[in-house]
Amino acid sequence: MAKKKVVVNFRFREKLNKIPGGKHHNYCYQCSACVAVCPAARFSKEFNPRKILLQALLGAEEDLLGKDSPIWLCTNCYSCYERCPQDVRPIEVIIALKNMAVEKETAPTNLAKLTENITKTGMSVMVSSAVHRRRKELGLPELKTIPLDEMKEILKDEETKEQSSIEQKTNK
Amino acid sequence: MKIIPFWGCMMPLKYPQMELAIRRTLPNLGVELVDIDDFTCCPDPIYFKARDKMKWLTIAARNLAVAEETGLDIVTMCSGCISTLKEAQYLLAEDQALKDEVNKRLKRINKEYKGKVKVSHAVVVIRDDLGLDVVKKSVKRSLEGITVAIHYGCHILKPSQIMHVDDADYPSILDDFVAAMGATPLEHHEKLLCCGKGCMDDELPLDMTEAIFSSIEKSGADCMGLVCPTCFSSFDLGQIMISRKRGKNYNIPVIYLFQLLGLAQGLGPEEVGLHTHRVKADKVLEKIVG
Ligand code: SF4
Ligand code: SF4
Repeated sequence: MAKKKVVVNFRFREKLNKIPGGKHHNYCYQCSACVAVCPAARFSKEFNPRKILLQALLGAEEDLLGKDSPIWLCTNCYSCYERCPQDVRPIEVIIALKNMAVEKETAPTNLAKLTENITKTGMSVMVSSAVHRRRKELGLPELKTIPLDEMKEILKDEETKEQSSIEQKTNK
Repeated sequence: MKIIPFWGCMMPLKYPQMELAIRRTLPNLGVELVDIDDFTCCPDPIYFKARDKMKWLTIAARNLAVAEETGLDIVTMCSGCISTLKEAQYLLAEDQALKDEVNKRLKRINKEYKGKVKVSHAVVVIRDDLGLDVVKKSVKRSLEGITVAIHYGCHILKPSQIMHVDDADYPSILDDFVAAMGATPLEHHEKLLCCGKGCMDDELPLDMTEAIFSSIEKSGADCMGLVCPTCFSSFDLGQIMISRKRGKNYNIPVIYLFQLLGLAQGLGPEEVGLHTHRVKADKVLEKIVG
């Protein structure tokens, strides 16, 4: 059998290295200990954390960040993190890959829905009038205040942050 | 003992019956809850972290900094919150550059995360700070003969190098808690299997919950006991989904362990919000309250 040429996309790997948790992908020695404990692998043939790590080592961007990438099948159970002898923290690498997919706009569309409340309201669950009513019925105290302004301020990216301070200065 | 409860979102907003159970039971163990303003979502360790890990870490660090200013320890009752807050602490402790970057953002609102606050989970406080005898002494109603199939849930245990709650393969913390209430924890094969909620797929989560339900069914337990609101959603509403989508009815009541503690302390089922659950607990309640 003719040997297939292996091409590694180092640029992709460097990008992965920069996201918190991403650089641990370098430590993977492909032992499959993570696969043995992975519930997503147990229930789906399409999912295999060792394979995902191999693809990360190769920088296989299309496989990992494509629309039907298997990374979204990970159930976030941390079993691989517990077991990995190399401190790869596979789930954290997968999460870093998910961040990259979000940036590339290939993440599942419902991810935005599932998270938009946090940046809009500071809470992941909508604080509706029904919530207030149910709490009252159960005799629970009023909800504490949620400091939305502070949260928005710390989430601003650098440029917009500078912009806003310029705006503030001109306003003054 | 005074603690600051970190309620998160799921408990106060989605499952307030869990907050109710905590508020009713912890004082009986000598714990005073000191509520404070200014917390936000922890934020959630699955979806929000998948969206932007740096922002996830920044919001978590802000919550920790808020707690730090009070000088008291914070205690969570949610496995998601404990996972986020403890992992954030771990990451900020192991990586100074990351901590500097996060603190640069916090400085905009005159806050700083120093790394001094202690974050714990209520079941850990009970085991390590109060002692299970305090639980035993608070019991007013016998749960003798009530069998509970425990579902540990992933995030309170793993990774153990961060969580330090128990042995991740052979945990006993929840079994011991249930035993201290006077009920009997039952072994079952899938006690440690993930509920599947984190996978972004229609079928996989149902496959996982079904494996757990059939394992519990075989064990013959009166109910399922857990401490994670996300797992609760997988199993309570999850049973309705499985019945609709797959035509199977398991009828296993799912009880948050502080609700069970409430029953043991003599509270009525409605006083711990059991009437709000989709899968009714009537049968097991008949055994307990008659
Ligand atoms: S991630 Fe860790 S457990 Fe999985 S194959 Fe690589 S080295 Fe082995
Ligand atoms: S966290 Fe994801 S990859 Fe790791 S064992 Fe769990 S499902 Fe598998």
